[in-house]
Amino acid sequence: MSSIGTGYDLDTDTFSPDGRIFQVEYATKAVDNSGTAIGLLCRDGVVVGVEKTLISRMLVPGSNRRSMAVDIHAGLALTGLTADARQVISRARAECSEYKNSFGVPIEGRVLADRLAMYYHMFTLYWSLRPFGCSALVASYGDDGPQLFMIDPSGSSWGYYGCAIGKGRQVAKTELEKLDLGKLSCVEAVKAIAKIIHLVHDPTKDKIWELEMSWVCDASNRRFQPVPQDLLAQAEEEAKKQVGDSEKTKTTAMSE
Amino acid sequence: VSTQSTWGIRGAKCAVVVTQRKVPDKLLRPETVTHVFHVTKNIGCVITGRIADGKAFLYKARQEASNFWYKNGYDIPVSFLAKRLADSAQLTTQNVGQRPYGVALILVSMEQMDDGTLAPKIYKVDPAGSYLGWFGTASGQKETEAINYLEKKHRGGKMDNLSVEDSIVLAIGTLQSVLASDFKATELEVGIVTEDHPAFRLLTDEEIDRHLTAIAEKD
Repeated sequence: MSSIGTGYDLDTDTFSPDGRIFQVEYATKAVDNSGTAIGLLCRDGVVVGVEKTLISRMLVPGSNRRSMAVDIHAGLALTGLTADARQVISRARAECSEYKNSFGVPIEGRVLADRLAMYYHMFTLYWSLRPFGCSALVASYGDDGPQLFMIDPSGSSWGYYGCAIGKGRQVAKTELEKLDLGKLSCVEAVKAIAKIIHLVHDPTKDKIWELEMSWVCDASNRRFQPVPQDLLAQAEEEAKKQVGDSEKTKTTAMSE
Repeated sequence: VSTQSTWGIRGAKCAVVVTQRKVPDKLLRPETVTHVFHVTKNIGCVITGRIADGKAFLYKARQEASNFWYKNGYDIPVSFLAKRLADSAQLTTQNVGQRPYGVALILVSMEQMDDGTLAPKIYKVDPAGSYLGWFGTASGQKETEAINYLEKKHRGGKMDNLSVEDSIVLAIGTLQSVLASDFKATELEVGIVTEDHPAFRLLTDEEIDRHLTAIAEKD
């Protein structure tokens, strides 16, 4: 499926003869080659998880977060180029703050997603800029209820019940479809996401890694926060066991 | 690459736009998937092509409309809006360091004529920056086939006499014949403006169903 965009792929402001913008597609490749991130819309909130591949065992666990709050009630989880991700988070924070100053109420999920999508899109219009090499999961829980949106490097944004981005997204999506979408509780979602990320993680390719999860739900008082350490640890335990069991049945089947 | 098809037709006292609504993923929230938007209360617009470009263009349209109302004290006529958008799109084709929007916008509205009456209007703005008013037009996949089909339907000025019901039936019927498949109400978005109800609105699933049944029974 991959075709070389020879000549038409050098600049963001160039269409190819078949109507594609290759720079945007290449930016999407940066996302597709990075660690998996999953978001789940639950009945009582939203949970996001990121498979963080680490470059060293010396990194302090829990540092260099990839899911960050942009307002009290909203946060982003991003996968792709981490430096680009930080710019997006910075802009999201500015949008939330400005909205509250102008309108006096916290920004709605749909509006935040739209603003960010517009921002992403702007970087696909001009020769002097390049698209962001990251996709964002926008999670919020305000008076409009729990909301989950995903924005990709082209700037298109849609609402989701469940969303997976990054290298393990195909397998993750299949697993997500098996869930009772929109009706899970956040605690169930934490366990589900932990299991899916452990399932898609390839231990031969990314030996050092960390699972980072955040949520905004009734249990967190509608504040976007890291999932409590004990719940996360428990979820990882169960995930490792479940994935380990399925690996074992695979090897037994192979040896027979 | 998008496989979206859109078309609009104009009746005696109404204008209708139809587009397909494909929700490819079970994980998507279908209520967030739409290509039909309001520019103002009375001007509706359908985006065909890159949705991100379309939204940016739409926001520009909203700004133009809003500025016009602020400066002139009355709602922007859709023909004028189309001209402003087209001129804006043209700049992107001539300025250095910019690229054209990868979208065609089909705008519909009941425009007030000089004698005070309302007349239905359809305008299409394309990435080249050209715009035209149409009796019936299409955009996206099977654009040429749809326009040819509509030309036959209009021959002799027939579309000028279509009632609201007939316009909707023709709009949805074009779909079945050009795309050669049957659709469910949830797979279509139908936007309409009429003389009695000039505010742009989307038909509900029940209303679309009613028309689909009428078309099926005719066959």
